[in-house]
Amino acid sequence: MTATLDLDTSLAERAVQARKLVIDMAASPRGCHLGGSLSVLDILIAALHRCELDDGTQVVLSKGHAAAGLYAALHVSGILPQNPAPLYGQLGHPYTGHPGPKVPGVLFPTGSLGHGVPYAAGWALARRLGGQGGLGIAVAGDGELQEGLVWETCQVAAAQRLGNFVLVVDRNGGQNDGLVRDISPLPNLAARFAAFGFETAEVDGHDLTALSAVLSGDRSTAERPLAVIADTVKGKGVPAVEGKAGSHYVTIDAARAAKWKRMIR
Amino acid sequence: MTLSGRDAYRDELTRLAATDPTIVCLEADLGGKGHPFQAAHPDRFFNLGIAEGAMIDMATGLAVAGYKPFVSTFAPFAALRAAESLKLTLGYLGAGVTVVAPYAGVSGAWFGTTHHCLEDFAVLRSIPGVTIAAPYGEADMRAVIRSAARSGRPHYLRTGRNATYQSLSRDGDELPLVNWAQPGEAGASCLVSVGEEGTRLALAAGELRPELAHAHLTYLDHDHLAAAAAELSRRHTRFTVVEEHRREGGVAEALALLLPQCEVTGVNAGHDWPVQGGDHDEVMGQLGLDLPAVLSALDRLDRLDPLVAR
Repeated sequence: MTATLDLDTSLAERAVQARKLVIDMAASPRGCHLGGSLSVLDILIAALHRCELDDGTQVVLSKGHAAAGLYAALHVSGILPQNPAPLYGQLGHPYTGHPGPKVPGVLFPTGSLGHGVPYAAGWALARRLGGQGGLGIAVAGDGELQEGLVWETCQVAAAQRLGNFVLVVDRNGGQNDGLVRDISPLPNLAARFAAFGFETAEVDGHDLTALSAVLSGDRSTAERPLAVIADTVKGKGVPAVEGKAGSHYVTIDAARAAKWKRMIR
Repeated sequence: MTLSGRDAYRDELTRLAATDPTIVCLEADLGGKGHPFQAAHPDRFFNLGIAEGAMIDMATGLAVAGYKPFVSTFAPFAALRAAESLKLTLGYLGAGVTVVAPYAGVSGAWFGTTHHCLEDFAVLRSIPGVTIAAPYGEADMRAVIRSAARSGRPHYLRTGRNATYQSLSRDGDELPLVNWAQPGEAGASCLVSVGEEGTRLALAAGELRPELAHAHLTYLDHDHLAAAAAELSRRHTRFTVVEEHRREGGVAEALALLLPQCEVTGVNAGHDWPVQGGDHDEVMGQLGLDLPAVLSALDRLDRLDPLVAR
């Protein structure tokens, strides 16, 4: 129990630090995809924590526009030694608005939506082919599920019985032009994945304990891929933007960043 | 009995995989029944279904994890439907994936325009870092597959449907940068042949015009073409490139830019869409890709030469 509490505290502290870094990136001259970076942050921290098992698990952020969230999560998880916030979007540094393989901890270029899902599935296939453990974890947005490549890959992953493939959906309900439910809704999402042959789990996407639990399993004998639908809040942690579609891309000044960072708990 | 390009690919890859456990073979439901790789190495053969984009991206995951994936689907689906995956993974990421694309050009013939691909060089040649080859004959294809497997670098390999072609003679196992199929007379025009049908037409023209030179090129990406252009220009100054591809983005256009001091013309698929049936030869004819077109192009080029005109 003590170890669990320590872990929860540790991950929560990482999340606090990471949110502050994301706000710093929003305060850069470039701004950043703030809402989606904050919604996906806890998912990334829990998924990267799974990598600490050193079992070959690979996390692919398919919703690459949340690069600020990924860089922050990689940094607080100890995978990216350099603080990316002051360098975000700057000439001479690899911290572009969508992540590429020059960033430590990033193996695949993502941001053109959909591609990260098959990259992770391919990684899972490689692990299984080599008789090795570890997962291929793709983290996608719910708006991203409108891309056909996602479902093409779900079909393949189920047919190949890739039980070590995990697709986590950051269901924040938003997308570039507004709300998913207004533009192209995705009702009965768990049932859709189940119909493809996936195991499914629905969790609070900001509950680090629940996320860690669902991502910590040994799936070496599983025959069905796992879809984790994580309900999240766009802009989570910053009351001024929480739940607001307008938080999708934000540029703020230093004073506002300092104010927002004081609110992070 | 010589093998077609795609049969030679399958056979050579199956043979290589016997001693290289990192080779995996992926298909998107167009590998046919009785694929030799599947028979010999069933644990490393994956028919992922009709999912070209997912196949190339999953191959990228395999490559990054240390495998050598060879994926195959028809050229229009590889080069056009999955073009973004090729850009991001073969190009930007430099993942060691080899894409083998049969049904290139109009080898799909009566199957129609959906199954033709006259645009693949234009797409692939614009993606830096991808090695592009269009082997002619079984020996060429086998050599290219061996080289791709050795290199671990991204490759796009173009081939046709089921037609077979007698391999050109060459010295040794390695493919020359330029295979001089016909040396030609000093100062003569030089045919440059690309791909299976381009080479077949050039060979036919060479038989009728023995004074011509004929240079066959297997590798067609920018780096290889730049080196080949230097060798070509040491021997000749007038070139007619024969290729089963659109004019734009093709090899003639590339060589013209690489050889500004030379005359370069082309026989290609131009701008038309073949709308009738017919066999491969007949559909090529609808596009003006036939032997008379090659001979006419040579005549036009000769008329440009003041020495010949005199």
